[in-house]
Amino acid sequence: MQTRDEFVARCSPRWHELENLLADGRNLHALPAASISRVATLYRSVCADLMRARALGCGSDVTGHLDAIAGRAHNVLYGPEPYRLRAAWQLVARDFPRALRNNWLAFVISTLLFGLPLALGLAGSLHSRDFAYSVLPQAALEQAAESYSEGFAGGRSEGQDSMMAGFYVYNNVGIAFRCFATGILFGIGSVFFLIYNGLVIGTVLGHVIASGSGSNILTFVCGHGPFELTAIVISGAGGLKMGWALIETRGRTRLGSLRAEARELTALIVGAALMLIIAALIEGFWSPSALPALAKWVFSAVASGFVLLYILLGGRDFRGRGNA
Amino acid sequence: MARDGSHGAEREPFDTTAVIETPEHVRFHYQLAGPARRIVAYVIDLLFRGAIVFGIAIVASIGSITGSEGLAGAGMGAMLLVIFAVEWGYYVLLETLTSGRSIGKRALRLRVVKRGGLPLGFGDSVLRNLLRAADFLPSFYAIGLLVMGNDRWFRRLGDMVAGTLVISEERVLMQQALQIKPQPTPTELQRLPERPPLSPGDVEAIELFLRRAGELSPARENELAEMIAPIYARRLGVRYRDAARFLALLYHRATERA
Repeated sequence: MQTRDEFVARCSPRWHELENLLADGRNLHALPAASISRVATLYRSVCADLMRARALGCGSDVTGHLDAIAGRAHNVLYGPEPYRLRAAWQLVARDFPRALRNNWLAFVISTLLFGLPLALGLAGSLHSRDFAYSVLPQAALEQAAESYSEGFAGGRSEGQDSMMAGFYVYNNVGIAFRCFATGILFGIGSVFFLIYNGLVIGTVLGHVIASGSGSNILTFVCGHGPFELTAIVISGAGGLKMGWALIETRGRTRLGSLRAEARELTALIVGAALMLIIAALIEGFWSPSALPALAKWVFSAVASGFVLLYILLGGRDFRGRGNA
Repeated sequence: MARDGSHGAEREPFDTTAVIETPEHVRFHYQLAGPARRIVAYVIDLLFRGAIVFGIAIVASIGSITGSEGLAGAGMGAMLLVIFAVEWGYYVLLETLTSGRSIGKRALRLRVVKRGGLPLGFGDSVLRNLLRAADFLPSFYAIGLLVMGNDRWFRRLGDMVAGTLVISEERVLMQQALQIKPQPTPTELQRLPERPPLSPGDVEAIELFLRRAGELSPARENELAEMIAPIYARRLGVRYRDAARFLALLYHRATERA
């Protein structure tokens, strides 16, 4: 048996040694090998000291001090998994399409929540101008119609291309991320943003067609549409899945149910983000180019086929028995 | 690994700490970061992000001054890309590279860790930072702050989905052992049992009180001591005259032999 002072006096040299090894801003792997193993040894003895200090009732300052040292050493010793290119490739080639197929129902619902308002907006604004004006301000719609009236036969300057690519990334990826994130509010946010964006996109499209620039806008949209619209729907599906996990908990706590979905959610949203970046590049540089309409439609067909096949077949194990 | 939530029979203290159990089966406590410090860290990050966008805006405007439409457009495009990257990618990049410390968090000695105390990975960081869009609603992180205030571990929605905590790595200074003044006389000590039946928690509470006692007015010191002294007096079956002095003697008795 010993008093607090004896205990502190006996053990504090190794506490100081560990603190010095962990001095601010130093990376563990930058230390000499002997020091690294010394850190591990000291960490274990500090952990033991911490338990003893608690058993002895040494007071909150001693245990607090040891908690802090042990915590920092723990953080340094148990570093994050190193990032490998292979993990990124696996996400694209396997985890993302698999997560999507596992959640096909959310995907279908998300498609309907986005597609029906889009069809409604399209039909409504084709039918009457007043419908379009009741959805969006007249000035914004006329500006959209105006910008597609010339077509892209002359192409656009490179400067304008870069600017629009920047704008598409900023705006569209933001829309998709919001569709996803607000799903945490029991799915309500995702439902709202899917319907809202579907309606707006459909209305603009319908209005521009009604203004007589139909072939211009459709030729423009056909290239990036397959990536962009799919990605927005996937983000929405992720949000719906998140909201549903809070409602249908399968016997877990609400949080536990949410946590169980985290891995698939990450795969879905990172995959959607990659698709959106591809879409923005196409939208910025390919869609407004002066290439003939036929080339753009062929490209669109190829892109749609690729997205479809990727979603259906990506990440399936064909070598093994049946599908994964 | 820490089991999620409660630790069964052993009750966690009512405190702003998170208990983490390591693979060595040692439990230690992390100090959790409360909303106030996290807001300050957020503001620092916000200023820093603003500075990045401002810097790019200056470079982009140089392009438009030259009068070339191409350069101006490219500048605008680059600026929008940067704004996007700063809005959605700033935290993910910094938290992944520095295992959980953005610039503002570093300034306030905060760190994001996984619930089990392990450093967070790319996927965790993506989830917790994308969910900022939900925490921010309806504006100025109203939902996030509300959720944080109601959570035992100060988590906002993003932390809940990603399974992360924000901890404070404040260093705790060890203090000198507490000296009782004036020195306890043998007659005073005689009246108390040699090993008073106090739990470590009791001793800690008394110690915290005695360390603060010097800063309090005598009346307040006595008032606080009177709240707790009768409990121990009854337990030990003794009487006391001065409550604060009684607690000091009790503490002395309890710690002279551990």
